[in-house]
Amino acid sequence: MINKYAKYFWIAEINFRNSFAYIFDVISSSIFIALIIFIFINLWSIVYGGRELVFGLTLPMMIWYLVFTEAMVTSSGKLITEIGAEVKSGEVANYLNKPYNYVVYKYAKSIGSTIFSFILIFAISAIVALLLVGPIEINLIHIPFMIIATLLGLTLYFAMSAFLGILAFWIEDSQAIEFVYSKLLFTIGGMLAPLAIWPPVIEQISLFLPFSLVAFYPAKLFVKFSFDSFIWVIGFGVIWGIVLFLATALLFRFMSKKLSINGG
Amino acid sequence: MESEISIQNLTKVFKIKEKKQGLAKLTKFLKPYSKELIAVDNISIEIKKGELVGFIGPNGAGKSTTIKMLSGILFPTEGKISVANLDPQKERRILAYKIGTIFGQKPQLWFHLPAIDTFKLFSKIYDLDKKDFEKRLSFLVKKFAIGSFVDQPVRKLSLGQRMRCEFVLALLHKPSILFLDEPTIGMDLIVKKSIRELIKKINKEENVTVILTSHDMTDVEDVCDRAIIINEGTIVYDGSFEQLKNNFSSKKVIEIVSETKIKLPNHKSVSIMKKGDYSATVEIDTKKKSLKRFLDKLISDNVIDDITIKEQPIEEIIEEIYKKKVKK
Repeated sequence: MINKYAKYFWIAEINFRNSFAYIFDVISSSIFIALIIFIFINLWSIVYGGRELVFGLTLPMMIWYLVFTEAMVTSSGKLITEIGAEVKSGEVANYLNKPYNYVVYKYAKSIGSTIFSFILIFAISAIVALLLVGPIEINLIHIPFMIIATLLGLTLYFAMSAFLGILAFWIEDSQAIEFVYSKLLFTIGGMLAPLAIWPPVIEQISLFLPFSLVAFYPAKLFVKFSFDSFIWVIGFGVIWGIVLFLATALLFRFMSKKLSINGG
Repeated sequence: MESEISIQNLTKVFKIKEKKQGLAKLTKFLKPYSKELIAVDNISIEIKKGELVGFIGPNGAGKSTTIKMLSGILFPTEGKISVANLDPQKERRILAYKIGTIFGQKPQLWFHLPAIDTFKLFSKIYDLDKKDFEKRLSFLVKKFAIGSFVDQPVRKLSLGQRMRCEFVLALLHKPSILFLDEPTIGMDLIVKKSIRELIKKINKEENVTVILTSHDMTDVEDVCDRAIIINEGTIVYDGSFEQLKNNFSSKKVIEIVSETKIKLPNHKSVSIMKKGDYSATVEIDTKKKSLKRFLDKLISDNVIDDITIKEQPIEEIIEEIYKKKVKK
């Protein structure tokens, strides 16, 4: 059983190493994010206007929240567009004739490059936050739990992207789907601000949607960890993970029969 | 002998979404326009173990679609396929262990990493035993002479070196069938020749069944014993290459540059395609007039500066065969 899945570990490993070739792309994204963080520090400073807490967070907590959500969403890449491009160019044929599950292959590949980008983007943004608002208190004991919540968030990002990406087997314009998906993460996923910024109805709905598990929940755990929240995030995330992976597997089975590859 | 590949009444129809202009685009959402494109139209083929088969045809003829159905990537609209006694669509992942594929325009090597890294990854993907993999790799590295650059990033390799690595990758798991889709595309003549030699060698030594598609008739002619010509989704010729060449490819295109005013031999088998004072392009039907006699006459009447003899383009041969509706 372990051997059966070992190949996916090696796929992640090789893509992690391959990502070094794109280090300058990642660094340029990081610099852009650092700039956004600088702007948000100024904006939030006006909102705080001398208040200690906004939405239950201090100003440094709010900025570190942003550092975390930006790193989560930006590092995960554009998987929907990528699958769409593979279908359009016919490259998908190279993956479908191999003895592995295409969706799990894409997951392993995506995780490999995402971890690489996450580390780099988080590190560069963290330097900016550290210089401008200073550190926040983090208990070292919580770090392993944080890593689990982060990996779960990245996995859910993938699961949603894979589901939408496989629609590219049928729909031609995958970039439009990617655009909408990323904007949902920005807003009701909590990337730009904690979900409490929304009217209560939207906030309550967003709290139960998988988008919030990618940005809002892991970032909130990062700035304000509690075991109760952690258990809720894991339970909630695993349920969404199972639902999304099953839906993606079914969609893949259905869509592969409809696949039409260019160049053939 | 039992067939390694058996195709019976295979048909593939694609539904193509039609793009509308202007306001008609808006109604697309209410009523999508689509038309049907028959990519493969009721073809039947039997291929025996160890055969070298060339699929020839122009763009959009249905060659690659057929190969993709044989490897389980595309689903047929109708018909039955058996490859290595497996159903490619139902048993795609089991079949993957038995086939090797090279799509000339879609490399499988990781571009920024040395080829050896992709070889190691594929050994995991194909569940190869570590010792077997090392033995197989050292055999293939020697056979394809890639030892001197296997540790260099793929992006630094020449096209020919890269393709040799692609072959090693496709053969690592000892496939019994090799699908080669335009493996020599973009290569110069010398590299093409070496790739062709390697395909023949592997077929001979490992009895691998080879299905080759190429626009280049020389590729197919040199490598394959059997040619299957597909045009508009149907088989228009299936037989030996020898017979194909003798019967249908008797025309040559000759480009001549002369130092003196050009004088062309007059014969009904010679048709002038282009003529200037000192140069000309003619087509000669070698069945009606021998090439040697034509050239002898040309050389005796002119002071030849340069001469190029070309095969009749594949599309023309196919067109002729198609027009004659000849089937073996």
